[in-house]
Amino acid sequence: MISLQNIERIFQVGDEEVHALRDVSMTATDGDHIAIMGPSGSGKSSLLNILGLLDRPDTGSYELDGVKVSELDEKEQARIRRHKIGFVFQFFHLVPRLTAFDNIALPLMLAGMKQDERQARVTAALAAFGLGNRAQHRPDQLSGGQRQRVAIARATIMQPSVILADEPTGNLDRNSGIEVVEILEELNRQGITLIMVTHDPELGRRAQRQILMVDGRIEREAEG
Amino acid sequence: MQIRDILSFSLLAATANRGRTLLMLLAMAIAVSSVVVLISLGDSARHYVIDQFSTLGTNLLIVLPGRSETTGGPPPLLGATPRDLTLADAMALNRARTVRRITPIIAGSAPISVRSLEREMLVLGSTSELYEIRHLALSQGSFLPPGEPTRAEAVCVIGQKGKKELFGNQPAIGRWLRIGDRRFRVIGVLSSSGVSLGEDLGEVVIIPVAAAQALFNTSSLFRILVEATSPEGIEQTRKSILDTIRVRHEGEDDITVITQDAVLTTFDRIFKALTLSVAGIAAISLVVAGIMIMNVMLVAVSNRRAEIGLLKALGASRTQILGLFLTESTILSSIGAGIGLVLALLGMRLAAFLFPQFPLQLAPWSSAISLGVALITGVVFGVLPARRAADLEPAFALMRR
Amino acid sequence: MQIQDFFRYTFNGIRAQRLRSFLTTLGIAVGIGAVVLLTSLGEGLHRFVLAEFTQFGTNLIAINPGKVTTHGVSGALLSNVRPLTIEDTAILKQLPQILDVVSVVQGNGAIKAGGRQRRATIYGVDASAARVWKFAVAAGRFLPDDPPRSARSFVVLGSKVRQELFGSNQALGMRIRIGGELFRVIGSMESKGQMLGFDLDDAVYIPAAKAMALFNRESLMEIDLLHTAGSSSSVVAEKVRKALQARHGKEDFTITTQEKMLEILGGVLNTLTIAVGALGGISLLVGGVGILTIMSITVNERTGEIGLLRAMGVEQSQILTLFLGEAVLLAAIGGLAGLGLGVGGSWLFSLAVPALPAHISWTYVASAELLAAFVGLLAGVLPARRAARLHPVEALRAE
Ligand SMILES: Nc1ncnc2c1ncn2[C@@H]1O[C@H](COP(=O)(O)OP(=O)(O)OP(=O)(O)O)[C@@H](O)[C@H]1O
Ligand SMILES: [Mg+2]
Repeated sequence: MISLQNIERIFQVGDEEVHALRDVSMTATDGDHIAIMGPSGSGKSSLLNILGLLDRPDTGSYELDGVKVSELDEKEQARIRRHKIGFVFQFFHLVPRLTAFDNIALPLMLAGMKQDERQARVTAALAAFGLGNRAQHRPDQLSGGQRQRVAIARATIMQPSVILADEPTGNLDRNSGIEVVEILEELNRQGITLIMVTHDPELGRRAQRQILMVDGRIEREAEG
Repeated sequence: MQIRDILSFSLLAATANRGRTLLMLLAMAIAVSSVVVLISLGDSARHYVIDQFSTLGTNLLIVLPGRSETTGGPPPLLGATPRDLTLADAMALNRARTVRRITPIIAGSAPISVRSLEREMLVLGSTSELYEIRHLALSQGSFLPPGEPTRAEAVCVIGQKGKKELFGNQPAIGRWLRIGDRRFRVIGVLSSSGVSLGEDLGEVVIIPVAAAQALFNTSSLFRILVEATSPEGIEQTRKSILDTIRVRHEGEDDITVITQDAVLTTFDRIFKALTLSVAGIAAISLVVAGIMIMNVMLVAVSNRRAEIGLLKALGASRTQILGLFLTESTILSSIGAGIGLVLALLGMRLAAFLFPQFPLQLAPWSSAISLGVALITGVVFGVLPARRAADLEPAFALMRR
Repeated sequence: MQIQDFFRYTFNGIRAQRLRSFLTTLGIAVGIGAVVLLTSLGEGLHRFVLAEFTQFGTNLIAINPGKVTTHGVSGALLSNVRPLTIEDTAILKQLPQILDVVSVVQGNGAIKAGGRQRRATIYGVDASAARVWKFAVAAGRFLPDDPPRSARSFVVLGSKVRQELFGSNQALGMRIRIGGELFRVIGSMESKGQMLGFDLDDAVYIPAAKAMALFNRESLMEIDLLHTAGSSSSVVAEKVRKALQARHGKEDFTITTQEKMLEILGGVLNTLTIAVGALGGISLLVGGVGILTIMSITVNERTGEIGLLRAMGVEQSQILTLFLGEAVLLAAIGGLAGLGLGVGGSWLFSLAVPALPAHISWTYVASAELLAAFVGLLAGVLPARRAARLHPVEALRAE
């Protein structure tokens, strides 16, 4: 359960103030599939960063599963990111020197799980995302679609309740993009809340709710 | 490409990454300044000791009793000898043409007392010539009177510090003091010329040589100081001393003659060797700084792949790229060396301010050396990165991103 | 995070940039190598000098006439109004805990045998000298235990003098002339080598009283005494002081115990070793700046990775430890390599200069390795802090 109330985010650029988010309020219930759309610079990424606890709003409050997370300290926010939130980025953000296996295992490793326990879970995840024979390949030896699948596998390995995806298909060709979106939708069907920023109206229409942002405001919301 | 273009291009590249450039300069500066400071300290020490030795006298020869078969090394301490050097031996040396003046010395230690105060001090038995030969200076009174060295007048000249200890702030001239069981009248006080080569002249009592003979009940001299008329006369004087003594000692060569020159050269050599080895040790840090420059330049090459590819695509030749990167590393190490030199200068100024009694200053050739070394370091450690850059395939360089 | 994962992760970061890591560690390695090599040489010199000084044994006490300490010239060579005498030696011999006492007069003169002549050091000593100074007699015997004042004219030759004067001929029983007087050779010594520049083989040993007559002096230059191994040097020295003071009425002599001398010498040599090590430390400092630079570059390059880690819920403190760990690991590897360099260098030096064997002090080695890790830690702090303080959103945008 996500609830944003009157969120403002202002960036100071030189003498000028840039209002990235103006009075944004929204809620999402568990299992929602939301697409955030809007022109470039409208504040989509800014909103997603706040939802993902990567950034703090200047005003307003954010409740996640009944906890006022906007008031937590950095350590507790990190714990919540670790356990409840999975990120998928436009530029994949894989660690270039680690293999696909190690990239997926990263969150488990950071959480302190033992190596033999990790083994089984990561192997299962690799298989589930069709990467069974790519375990020992490094990112530069993978195609874009494969890279994004590794990133999604990594985002879901901790079994988060929310997946935040910022233009996950922005760097992929059409087929690979559809493939990735289908994977994300499948995860959503299993109960994970999926919030995805996209420029592609066709992909947006597949979401159950569409939020349109313009100039830092939620311009309107459409269902279906 | 014009030299100016190469320079400005390299400077621009170096300043683009300010943090790492500053760190490289810091490393180079530490290395260079430590080398320069150590060379300068060693050089200052060398000058100090040699100056000290020069103030001992000019055209000086020292005659010691006894001779060792093995020569070289530090001035020998030979101990006693069967045949003494006597006052008569010393006087005989005066006859040589190249000798300006001589003075015999008997050295001993004895308790000096004034009423209930007693101090153990170095007692030198000598003649009035000691004053000229050793370039002594008096703060009060007069030195031993000239005259027959065999006359044992009961007068003495004391050092500044000894005077303070025995007489406090009261005048000492004309007062009597006791050396062993004899009484001497103070006729002069040495000015505080400080320490000269281990002999603390502040705590010394100089008495006529004949008085010292009686005091210590000995006829043998500790040494004879001989001043030659000119630097050219030194070798001649040495020979004539040896000849004179041989004749007087029944054909035996049983003395050692040390010339000031020889001692000076020995000290000079020792100090140069010491300075060089200490600086050599510090120079290891130059190597480390060089490795660091190489490392950072390699990073720069891989970061600037696209740029290199572009330059090549625009028609830059291999040598041009090589030159660009070599220039960059050389500029870096030179600026670092310059900063190091300034640091060293400030350091030596500070040291000179803290220890005014030593003549501390930057060795003039150390700056030339360090700049040279820095240039070499820049080129040597810059070659590998520069070659990497020059050898990049343009297509490959442009490929990523 | 599991500890082995921590190491694997940081090690991975180091391995991913092989050349760069190699050069960084090389910088530290050269620094540590210099420190280890130089302290090893210092320690070797320390041991060498101590061995030279203790070759006469460690329970030695030397007494010199006069209270001269400041003039840089040994009191023995100066004339003195209150001499040490052979009688003093006899008195000291009576004291408890004292095994042996030697009167010493030292000088220089011509020694003639047949047609040959050599100038050498002449030691006037007692029969006890062989025991106190731990001399070994090669042929014949050492000076006999004659009454000191009426000792017979015997001489014992140092190995070099024997060789120079007699070559392969028989020396024992021959008569030689020292400063005009005749002496009969009753023994020759085994080679003892040099001690701090003094050639003990280029010397002859005659009774002290004879030497005093030869050099025309009434006093001894030194009295050496050997005390029992169990007794403390300072206690024995105090007893000697009392006994001599009672005889002379005043403390007009200087007592130097070997223990004290070794202590002072040890102090000086330790300072030297540390000073030389510190000179090598300059390189280490520069190496530290190298790590700082490379870690800054690394943090820069891995900004995206840091953002990712933060997004995945890694705390700031963990990021700090990761990068600090990488810096320390780099330095520690460099340190290990440096140990290899230093130890190898010392070994080579020992091969090249067998007379002055470098000695690897493992305390210094261990501290050098710790120092390397510490340098890494110090150099890592700034970049690691910068990494930890990166804003996750900014970091993610960097890619
Ligand atoms: N760190 C920052 N500093 C200053 N301004 C910022 C910063 N981050 C975002 N902004 C500004 O905030 C506004 C919203 O940016 P945001 O990245 O959220 O847009 P977006 O909708 O994601 O755009 P796009 O579709 O191009 O990704 C923009 O005007 C941007 O310039
Ligand atoms: Mg965006």
